[in-house]
Amino acid sequence: MISDEALMQEFRSGSHLAFEALFARYRGPLYGFFRRRLERDQRAEDLTQEAFLAVIRASVRYEPRALVRTYLYGIAINLLAAERRKQSRDLSSVEIAPEPASRDDSDNVLWMRQALGRLDDAEREIVMLREYEQLSYSEIAELLKLPVNTVRSRLFRARMALKERLKPEQDIANASAGEVAETAKLTQAEGEAL
Amino acid sequence: MNRMTHPIKPEEVMAYLDGELAADRATVAAAHLRECAECQGLAAELGSVSQNLETWKVEQPEPGIPQAITNALAENRAAARNIFPAQRNLRELWHTRWARVMLAGAGAAAAVFLVGLGTLKFEGGRVSSVFSRRGVPVDKAVVNKFQTESRLEPSPPPPPPPINGRTVTELAQLQTAPPATSSGPLADKLTTENNLSANGPMIIRTAELNVITKEFDTARANLEVILKRHQGYIDELNAGGNTGSGRTLTATLRVPADQVDATLAEVKTLGRVESESQGGQDVTSQYVDLEARLGNARNTEDRLTDLLRNRTGKLSDVLAVEQELDRVRGEIEQMEAERKNMAKQVSYATLTVTIAEEYKAQLQVVPPSTSNRLGNAAIEGYRNVADGVVAVILFLLTTGPSLLLWAAILFFPARVVWKKLRRSPAA
Repeated sequence: MISDEALMQEFRSGSHLAFEALFARYRGPLYGFFRRRLERDQRAEDLTQEAFLAVIRASVRYEPRALVRTYLYGIAINLLAAERRKQSRDLSSVEIAPEPASRDDSDNVLWMRQALGRLDDAEREIVMLREYEQLSYSEIAELLKLPVNTVRSRLFRARMALKERLKPEQDIANASAGEVAETAKLTQAEGEAL
Repeated sequence: MNRMTHPIKPEEVMAYLDGELAADRATVAAAHLRECAECQGLAAELGSVSQNLETWKVEQPEPGIPQAITNALAENRAAARNIFPAQRNLRELWHTRWARVMLAGAGAAAAVFLVGLGTLKFEGGRVSSVFSRRGVPVDKAVVNKFQTESRLEPSPPPPPPPINGRTVTELAQLQTAPPATSSGPLADKLTTENNLSANGPMIIRTAELNVITKEFDTARANLEVILKRHQGYIDELNAGGNTGSGRTLTATLRVPADQVDATLAEVKTLGRVESESQGGQDVTSQYVDLEARLGNARNTEDRLTDLLRNRTGKLSDVLAVEQELDRVRGEIEQMEAERKNMAKQVSYATLTVTIAEEYKAQLQVVPPSTSNRLGNAAIEGYRNVADGVVAVILFLLTTGPSLLLWAAILFFPARVVWKKLRRSPAA
């Protein structure tokens, strides 16, 4: 498989096929990045598009100093920060009804999102970049401009906090699942008896 | 969990599971995790958190390239067509940091040049008068200077001369050029080719000169003076001679490439030139090729380093990448050495100079006296006697122990045989 960096160089040389290959590779991950952090799916789609437009516009200025993946997520983080600033301004004037990140979220996912939401902002970003974007510690450190050791310790803290917060919910979820199963068994037994 | 009982920290357990632990620590972590139930529990909990997080899936965006991106690509293509290729290259180069640094350097150099020019003009009268005093043919000037060398005060060293069109500073910059990744292979290649086209080809120069002189000692001393004046040095020197023949000096000299002609001209004045030969080997293409290979190897090294630093994977993969990195670094060191050697050969020409003494055989007309001959004969006789005695002693010391041993062994059998022989006639 051709590396991202080689594709980027090809694109800089004028190959639009190379850009399309990069687009196919990173459209989904970038959309996922925005989708998990924004309320509206349309905005996630728009910002994904914005990120790729920024790549096209900046292709001449691109320098292969970092991985293309890190470069793309760097653009995405900047766009997200701008979007959040804009949202905070808009929220002061107009109240926007929040939209669920996914329409078919299960209870487990909702609990997990709540647990993530209760994390410190910096820790949440690190754990999300690691778990969903699959970035390495050094890539996260580069993007967030933090030392790698800080990233590691915050990631550990965030995961431990998530473990603690997910535990009771899981127990409840397991308990409710057990109750449902028992009820079903009883119903089945009653039916057979009748 | 403390380090007295656990050789790794909990964070390291997590980093190991993420494939983010250094190879040596990963080995320790793997061994410890096989044995420690507590750490296994921690690993299971961390795995459980990751599994929970994985349940949050998001829908995929609609397939196909959005119209806005297609339009932007078309505009990009049109913009690229509207500028000439050279202009595009210049634009691309301008946007690289390396090009900006080079431009800033060129600006600074131009400023220094202008200031220098102003200073030169200010002192113009004095400079031109110096030049007019030296307005004699080069060879005569060299000879005159050489003849009065012993009376001259040592002059301050001149600025580093250009070497095949390159200054020493430029070569040093080439040798300590930043890795290819900092400026990109394209920019590096362009820089190298521009340097070569601007400064001419790289040629390894060699010359050989055989000179015969009557004043061997003076010639040898003067050779060193010439070398010092042209900032050269002796790579190898052999001098010798036998009775009844002239002395010979063979020296391999290294002289800055642009000083070769001047040095040769001066060396020729040391005596009568018997033979002279000069040669040059163009290594421009080899140098460019070496630079390109070095750039590629550095890129590979950087990619492998990034891979090692950023990618996650199995321990065996990490070790394989490290082995590959070691191999690439070995190649880079070898190529660096080749490049330095080539640059040195180009910057310093090799002169092989042989200076032979013009020997005049002397006829010995007075024979030695009789008393001397008798004395010499007596001494020779005494020396022969002494040598003979010493030789006998040495023989006895060398073979004596063996002779004694064999005599002791053979004495009794010989005695028995002898007795039997003596008895048999009687019987």
